[in-house]
Amino acid sequence: MLMHYLSGLGILLFGAVHIFTIFFTYPFQATIWETTLKFDSIPFAILPVYRNALLAASLFGLLLCTTVHAMNGLRTVIAELVGFRNKWVDRILIAVGVFLTVYGLRTILIAHLLV
Amino acid sequence: MTEYVKFLVYRYRPEDGKKGVYADYDVPVKKGMTVLDGLIYIKENLDPTLSVRFSCRMAICGSCGMRVNGLEMLACHTQILGLRRKHIIVEPMRNFPLLRDLVTDMTPLFMKQKALKTWLIRRDELEQENPTIQYLQSEEELGKYLQFTYCIQCGLCYSACPVVSTFPAFLGPQSLMKVYRYFADSRDEVGRERVSFVDKFEGVWRCHFAGSCSAVCPKGVDPALAIQLLRREALK
Amino acid sequence: MLSQREGRTKVLQSLRVMLVPGRYGLERWSFVLQRISGVAVSLYFIAHILETGNFVGGITVWTVPEYSFAEAAHQKSVELLKNPVFDVGLAVIGFLVALHTFNGLRLILTHFGFLVGKPGRPEPFEQPASLNARQRALFWLSISLAVFALLYTLDALMGVFRV
Ligand code: SF4
Ligand code: FES
Repeated sequence: MLMHYLSGLGILLFGAVHIFTIFFTYPFQATIWETTLKFDSIPFAILPVYRNALLAASLFGLLLCTTVHAMNGLRTVIAELVGFRNKWVDRILIAVGVFLTVYGLRTILIAHLLV
Repeated sequence: MTEYVKFLVYRYRPEDGKKGVYADYDVPVKKGMTVLDGLIYIKENLDPTLSVRFSCRMAICGSCGMRVNGLEMLACHTQILGLRRKHIIVEPMRNFPLLRDLVTDMTPLFMKQKALKTWLIRRDELEQENPTIQYLQSEEELGKYLQFTYCIQCGLCYSACPVVSTFPAFLGPQSLMKVYRYFADSRDEVGRERVSFVDKFEGVWRCHFAGSCSAVCPKGVDPALAIQLLRREALK
Repeated sequence: MLSQREGRTKVLQSLRVMLVPGRYGLERWSFVLQRISGVAVSLYFIAHILETGNFVGGITVWTVPEYSFAEAAHQKSVELLKNPVFDVGLAVIGFLVALHTFNGLRLILTHFGFLVGKPGRPEPFEQPASLNARQRALFWLSISLAVFALLYTLDALMGVFRV
């Protein structure tokens, strides 16, 4: 449970950075499709964010915390839905979590290194 | 002119092997009549086969817990006119095995309490059986747990809890509250071991503070509060 | 062990208890909303990781590709995603994320025993200490912030509040 609180607070921290770069850095006349979701034209478009080592690391932190929080949450909800714990549910959720972390890390690294 | 209220009462007979049905009865109502009085009226005048459990009729024995219009209440503690409805739906409590009509089997509640040793325990067994001194407590020490001693084990909180409904192994609001009640009692000598009884998946961690237990408790016991305080201890 | 049919009935019953707050009051609503938002956001999170993976070319790409290749891949996914249905969906996710965050903070506080009040001597028909006004204010605060997030996201994606 402590893990759930800590990952939740981690999401709060890293998620704030994520939301900030996407939703609070564009001029208000435009939508984010025309600005922060562009590939590479303005300071907080997608690639510049990933290129910045600190922001990329914070994205990885967000990825890790969210994976832990989401999988643990789903485990709880599933156990409480069917009425018992099942080790196969745990294993599948761990597998999904590992995949998401690896795949997400791959995306972050590629975008970070792309020139 | 007498006022009539329609009672829709859940009827279930295990020997029929069928699902329960709702039977309706018109009950003449006077000021001061409780839902239990209504049910007794039905039993005496309209349908003697109705099964309902009660004893004290004054909210002290905890026998007559049921769901009235979708909310857990003591039938003897609920004024019919106070409900301000022309129809009253009376159902047995959830989360307990149903025996017949409105009568549920309270064993799960009592077994969970028993497993958690919810009684005063002194290390010295001789002293426990034959106390030689008085165990004085200050007003402040009493205040820490007094509220939780008001529980009459009616099981309403256990029936209202959404987690017990879906995850039956959960110890439930009443038992966890009792654990905190003895943990907070200065005369009890089990100490932090009590917290370790509930520091597990089926224990305090399954409480998500839906507050339904405290919302329905007829004695103002506030099990949700006790569980949060217990969890605070478990987090230490 | 339950038979398959009993198992299914059990899950349906559980779903009903989890999704229908009934007459138990605000805290029960908070429980239900926290559940729904948690599951919805988790599913969105999985989709989001897959979708952002497409921005650099999808699951088959494991080395750093050409810039132009990635740019084209990003362009393709943007074309796929940029439509009003997804925009509204994302705004709803924004609502749920904000709700889950702020209500979750409140719940962490209660789990540590803060803001739940102290044991006292209850009077008949008195509101229980743990279901107090501070808790409710915080719950409504998280709802308000979630509504703000909904409107803000809608505006950021579709520019609905521009003149
Ligand atoms: S805590 Fe309240 S609702 Fe629960 S069993 Fe005790 S008296 Fe009944
Ligand atoms: S009959 Fe004793 S509590 Fe209602």
